Amino acid sequence: MDLTGKHILITGASSGIGKATAIHISKLGAKLSLIARDEKRLKETLTQLDGEGHLIYLIDLKETHKVEKLINDIVNISGPLDGLVHCAGIANVRPLSMTNTDFLHDMMLINFYSFVELVRCASKKNRFNKGASFIGMSSIASKSGDKSKTAYCATKAAMDSAVRCMAVELAYKEIRVNTVIGGYIKTDMYKIYIETAGESAVNRKISSNQYLGMGDTNDIANAMAYLLSDASKFITGTGFIVDGGFLS
Amino acid sequence: MTNKEKINMLEEILELDEGALKEDTVLKDLEEWTSMAALSLIVLMDEEFGKKLTGKQIKEFMTVADILEQMN
Repeated sequence: MDLTGKHILITGASSGIGKATAIHISKLGAKLSLIARDEKRLKETLTQLDGEGHLIYLIDLKETHKVEKLINDIVNISGPLDGLVHCAGIANVRPLSMTNTDFLHDMMLINFYSFVELVRCASKKNRFNKGASFIGMSSIASKSGDKSKTAYCATKAAMDSAVRCMAVELAYKEIRVNTVIGGYIKTDMYKIYIETAGESAVNRKISSNQYLGMGDTNDIANAMAYLLSDASKFITGTGFIVDGGFLS
Repeated sequence: MTNKEKINMLEEILELDEGALKEDTVLKDLEEWTSMAALSLIVLMDEEFGKKLTGKQIKEFMTVADILEQMN
């Protein structure tokens, strides 16, 4: 897959899947605009990229009102977008009894509302090139339930549903929109999750359902690269499952 | 906040009747003391007391009094 010359924006690029995706697609020739909150870790990602012309931008995506100016600035500096990958997200778990509206709103804001806002702004005239591919990082959580995950699962299901509509609406602009539906992947987010959920409980779930074992961030990065490339030009409005067999 | 008020908060998240918990109540004797209860306690400690509890710390709690000690 060749992404030479393509300008790709990646959120959540300071760690985990976002970082791995950035590193991988830089090796495929893309020029990157990286977004995250953590400056130190974002700069660390920058040092690990191949190629030149990559830039970093600091923003808390909870502040969705800042997204439009950010997209405009990014396009003015580095040109229209060929791709957008939304990896920023949080996976906080809470029993339903504690899932109040404030918590649900915070989860939705980062995991879903910011994605919609990014796509809304990036799909405006002159901000994208024809053939652009926009991707949201979703999860098996969008299709399967579990205790304490009402909010998290809802945010991912919302993303999966939204891309179906976005794909239809943006097809005439030759923009494709998809999600990557990831299984359990070894990241800092996963480490925090097992800290609260309990490692043995999670391991039981993985060994019984995700029979190909624990996923790696590069498993997702490879899927992102494919969806960003012209090799996937016939794929839009779908959730691309990369889950080690979990949902089967 | 008095200990009674703190105990009431714990009774609420464990969905127990008021008065069901005492300071010397042994947690593992409670049917309601589950992993979900532990998650609720983590949220409570964060939102009401600004404290981040870990699963490891929770495993070390033996009685209600151990939890009350953290609630300040």
